[in-house]
Amino acid sequence: MLDDLTAAREQMAFSLSFHIIFAVLGVGMPWLMLWAEWRGLRTGDTHWTALARRWSKAVAVLFAVGAVSGTVLSVEFGLLWPEFMARFGSAFGISFTLESFAFFLEAIFLALYLYGWGRLSPRAHLLCGVPVAVSGVASAGFVTTANAWMNGPVGLVRGPDGELISTEPLGPFLAPTTGPQVTHMVLAAFLCTGLAVAAVYATAMLRDPAKRDGYHRRGFAAGAVMGLSLAVPQALVGDWATRAVAEYQPAKFAAMEGVEHTEDGVPFSLGPWEIPNLLSLLLKFDPDARISGLDVVPAADRPPVAITHLSFQVMIGIGVALIALAAYTAWAWYRDRRRGAHPADRRGLLIAMAVAGPAPFVALIAGWIVTEVGRQPWIVYRVMRTPEALTSQTGLETYLYVTIAVYLALSVALVAILRRIAAGPRPTTERTLEGSAA
Amino acid sequence: MTASDVLALLVLAGLTAYTVLGGADFGAGLWDLTRNRRQRDLVVRAMGPVWEANHVWLIFVLIALFSGFPGGFAVLSRSLTGPLSIALLGIVLRGAAFAFRQYGAPHGGPPVRGTALWGRIFAVSSLITPFAFGAAAGGITGGTLRADGSAGLLRPFLAPLPLVSGLLAVAACGFIAAVYLTTDAYRSGEPELVVRLRARALASGAAAGALALLALPLLPDAFADRLAWPAVAVSVVSGALALELMRRGWFVLARVAAAGAPAGLLCGWALALYPWALPGETVISPAPPATAGLIVGVLTAGLLLVVPSYVFMIRVLRADAD
Repeated sequence: MLDDLTAAREQMAFSLSFHIIFAVLGVGMPWLMLWAEWRGLRTGDTHWTALARRWSKAVAVLFAVGAVSGTVLSVEFGLLWPEFMARFGSAFGISFTLESFAFFLEAIFLALYLYGWGRLSPRAHLLCGVPVAVSGVASAGFVTTANAWMNGPVGLVRGPDGELISTEPLGPFLAPTTGPQVTHMVLAAFLCTGLAVAAVYATAMLRDPAKRDGYHRRGFAAGAVMGLSLAVPQALVGDWATRAVAEYQPAKFAAMEGVEHTEDGVPFSLGPWEIPNLLSLLLKFDPDARISGLDVVPAADRPPVAITHLSFQVMIGIGVALIALAAYTAWAWYRDRRRGAHPADRRGLLIAMAVAGPAPFVALIAGWIVTEVGRQPWIVYRVMRTPEALTSQTGLETYLYVTIAVYLALSVALVAILRRIAAGPRPTTERTLEGSAA
Repeated sequence: MTASDVLALLVLAGLTAYTVLGGADFGAGLWDLTRNRRQRDLVVRAMGPVWEANHVWLIFVLIALFSGFPGGFAVLSRSLTGPLSIALLGIVLRGAAFAFRQYGAPHGGPPVRGTALWGRIFAVSSLITPFAFGAAAGGITGGTLRADGSAGLLRPFLAPLPLVSGLLAVAACGFIAAVYLTTDAYRSGEPELVVRLRARALASGAAAGALALLALPLLPDAFADRLAWPAVAVSVVSGALALELMRRGWFVLARVAAAGAPAGLLCGWALALYPWALPGETVISPAPPATAGLIVGVLTAGLLLVVPSYVFMIRVLRADAD
């Protein structure tokens, strides 16, 4: 038996994870789609146009699942955490209000994009994709500002005895971790999308060498460039985000790095290895600097260490591996270009890219576990504890199981359909199908 | 009029848009429960481009509600946990099932296994959601809910008023959908479907009217006294007019009149409720005035951008519906 608090937290974690996988693809895919369509228009290369059409179908299905799973979240806030919403719903209201309009524009222009292939001029059609791409990024950004505010609430208006009276409406945009968190999230969306797309074409080319043609190479290259080019920038932004955590949420930072006691010259641990003094050096640029441990906060205010630390390590490990893969791919591309070959002819590279596809998604979820579990026991950092926010309704375990069952069924169907979309005939030969299938 | 009052009107506008536009998409599910393949194809063709944009109205309402009336949102979440969970389940299954059914055979040929089952799930879940929302509205009106949710998960909704209002919501959605679909069938030159759907529009419209009349005597006296009668009158006149226009075959005008019937009823109900979240129990406590004012500003600016875009989308995508 799960107690209600655990069940509610698990349900939130599960529905957020499910949603975010579709949300990141919904943020990234339109940019790839636009790029492919633009290249097709500019150069007359039909492979690019074919890719844009194929991707638009995948986006249609992913967007539908993303939209409904996002609705679940906005209702769940109230169903599971009514006290939190009652006190702070308006604190991050502006973020979500802006997000709802970004979502509106995304849905409207996506409909125009999906159903407008034959009804709009090529130029107008391409332009309809722009609001889709821009508002996807905007939605992700706005929602992340709300989370950043939960990690570093600002704009609290307190009474003479320190009691909370109200909140300033622009708090989420001024929270100390807003900058790094939003940037980290948006880059993560592009990284995940790029590598997922590259993995799809890498797998196809590995399974059937006859598919190492212009169409698959272009799909592979577009995804690989989008994903791998962001590996290093993402690590730099991650560093920025970590420094912000160290400054504003020392207990979370200590849990991430597994630092029990406040000490001078703290080592850096990665998996089984430990490098002396490195953490002090990385954070403070001084090998002997003092790092705050978990003991800076009372025992009741400490987050669970094991899962936070492990998740952080997983994220860092994947980040480092992706940087190595990016370096190897860049080298292979440079070598092959001089010989007039294509990196997609390297079997090893294809295998690496096929394996790398799911990795950034694992890192994404791990990163959110760090953010959310590391903030515990607070739902709003140092203002409201998670148990205080919980609903008075009981039997939340049942909700959790129903949610898991429904989402599993959706995942199975979704994967089957995406596979069919990926495996079908080239869309160039089915110009008229869009209208009749619609 | 304070910023909160304006905000409440914007919430009501969003709720009305969701009822009229999103409601038609749910009602289409009722007419998808048929062996007639052409009718099912028409449902997919009519809903495909628009249902997601229509669905965003619900998100708009939820967000405007929790930003502008956080206390009211929490009270409603707690006391309506049962029906809201059921509505949510319906929303997820309906949306995903529709996309799966639509793209089950993305390049022609036989569909992915299970697509037919998702088609059924689409139809059934389309009915569950409006019923749950209607029952929730009936529960609020009936006055048996408690702000702390202690009245129970489902028990308060197993009463005459919530059950009737749930059915009323389903019938109203079916009515709007049938009217819209008749127009679409007429535009795409399918006279057989026009006849079929027109008969269904008349039947569901009559059913919705009867259920609305049945609900009136079930209203608690205190609530009935507050009912905004001009809005209810708009509803009655629009409903009667829509039925008559449908009978005469003036489909485009019937569309407008058909939307007026549920919209009028909804507005009459909401104006009677405001400023209560649960009548006689809890008021819908607004956000601080500075926040409410800013949200009103953002909502207005956003709507000025979204509404023309939406109209543009409808015009483009309808252009060659034939």
